[in-house]
Amino acid sequence: MARPSAQARLTNIEKYRAQVLSHPLGRGIFPDEVRDHLAKVPRQRFPRVVYANRGPDPCIQPRGGFPLFEMQYQLTQQLSQAGADFIPLTIDSYTRHNEYDTATQLLHRSEEEGKSYLNGYPLISHGHELTRQLYCDLEKPVSLRHGTPDARLLAEVAIASGIAEIEGGAICYCLPYSEGFPLDRCLLYWQYVDRVCAVNSTEDLPIHRESFGPLTATLVPPSVVIAVEIIEALLAAEQGVTSFAVSFGQTGSIIQDIATATVLRELTRYYLDQFGFGSVQSYLVYHQWMGQFPAQRERAAALIACSAIISSIIGADKIVVKTVDEALGVPRPEINAEACDTVRYVLRTFRSAETVTSPMIEREMALIGSEVKSIMDAIFDISGSAFWESVFRAFQLGYLDVPFSPHADNANKLLSVRDGNGSIRIADAAAVPISDHDARVERELLESREDRSDKTYRQMLTDIRLMV
Amino acid sequence: MTSVCHGRVVIGVIGDDIHIVGNRIMQLALEESGFQVFNLRTRNRPEEFYQAALEVNADAVFVSSLNGEGEHWCADFRSLFREIGLGHVLLYVGGNIVVGKRPKEEVARLFKQFGFDRVYHQEPDISVAIADLQEDLKHGAAQRAGKAHEH
Repeated sequence: MARPSAQARLTNIEKYRAQVLSHPLGRGIFPDEVRDHLAKVPRQRFPRVVYANRGPDPCIQPRGGFPLFEMQYQLTQQLSQAGADFIPLTIDSYTRHNEYDTATQLLHRSEEEGKSYLNGYPLISHGHELTRQLYCDLEKPVSLRHGTPDARLLAEVAIASGIAEIEGGAICYCLPYSEGFPLDRCLLYWQYVDRVCAVNSTEDLPIHRESFGPLTATLVPPSVVIAVEIIEALLAAEQGVTSFAVSFGQTGSIIQDIATATVLRELTRYYLDQFGFGSVQSYLVYHQWMGQFPAQRERAAALIACSAIISSIIGADKIVVKTVDEALGVPRPEINAEACDTVRYVLRTFRSAETVTSPMIEREMALIGSEVKSIMDAIFDISGSAFWESVFRAFQLGYLDVPFSPHADNANKLLSVRDGNGSIRIADAAAVPISDHDARVERELLESREDRSDKTYRQMLTDIRLMV
Repeated sequence: MTSVCHGRVVIGVIGDDIHIVGNRIMQLALEESGFQVFNLRTRNRPEEFYQAALEVNADAVFVSSLNGEGEHWCADFRSLFREIGLGHVLLYVGGNIVVGKRPKEEVARLFKQFGFDRVYHQEPDISVAIADLQEDLKHGAAQRAGKAHEH
């Protein structure tokens, strides 16, 4: 039985960092110089400062990353002018898989031919000195968006570049993104990332961490998402992170979105406090629909507007936006800028009531909350000498099971489909340790579905294409 | 789910293709139709399919491709199976199996030349393939062995 504890903090981090930074592409980074640089970076580049001053509306964050410095610079300017509160830096997939040589070669080729051979910004190939220049006149936080199981060097270069928000985590950047990267190693590597964020933080200006709650964005039950988010918040807190955002993706049901947000916020606070991490500030981030998008632009725009309203109703600290071209591929910068404007318009025009509730939402909250507590209790009871080991074992035992994860360590036994109002229901919990009572309630709620007698795979296909 | 076992099917996505959603749905659809499924999941080479077919004594192999790599990897499929004495195993392929827009008939002809028994290029309804598989398996192994020699 291993509970989250500050005693799990990596010791000897200086020595470990020296090892990581001895990589040829990390050699220009000196921890003291990085701290000095962070002290000179404008305060508005730190998420905590922006969140503290955000006013009634959620902050807006678009997506985007290009291989060339010039293109990324222009994107940054364009998004900033369009009203983005957070500026994304999306990393290419070779860098995500630690294939820095390939990323560098393709960067050179992109530079020579003026064409993009990478699907994002190869941060490690560009290095921190050049990347600092991207943001020399920027007074907004930059968010590192990637999907990297081993992000040790990447996080070092990002922080050295003055990037104060690192997205990801051992579970959320492994299970949806990788089929074979060992989860136990991933857990250990993210301890490093969390620790490095912590040692580069000051009390007022912490390096902020954010988890990626949408996971596979395909019928993941809210209780599974919330358990993963709480675990990653606890793992980060163990390493001394003091500013952490949990997140989730639009579920497809307004009722379930409101219930999920409330339970996620409350239980993250509850578990952080319970294990002595009361000083950790937690935030809530909402992702606009992450599943298959309508190809018709009018429908896409309607979906984007509706999820903007939901982000306001749930009191999200930040909304990560999609574009009307989502179904067509990687959107152009103008389209991304347009999306920021649309969302800003909706947020400004329709300020929500402070709280929205109903008997259905209350029931949903009770059910999700009870399931999360059962899952967390079961994980805490797994034997092991450290919390991360219990988390690793939880996947082997199927206590945590993320639908549609390609990863070999994921059980893939849990079955989920939508009920009559579009909420995601657990049709078969498999080894996920929710109570018999909750499992029965989930199944009963499924009866409201019109095509319930149809085969499960047909129901799932309908559900996946919900918004199309 | 029915408990009747209609046959043993190896499924998987070929090439450096990590599209997992269709693969999971396929597994569930086959299981719900009574098949025993051996799922190789994503990113497979041809040898992984025939090795698995040999290991589990498969009746059929269902190859899928979403990113269009299918054409590149599937060319020698039937001969590879025949070489290890598995010429009788039913070979199905489906998904988005070639790169670019090409007529369905042309794609079907191409993959039949590769030795596939059934080809489902951009076929949205899985149940078509399942009905075909049930039908094809009724004919028995001996007949299929004879049919395989025709290719």
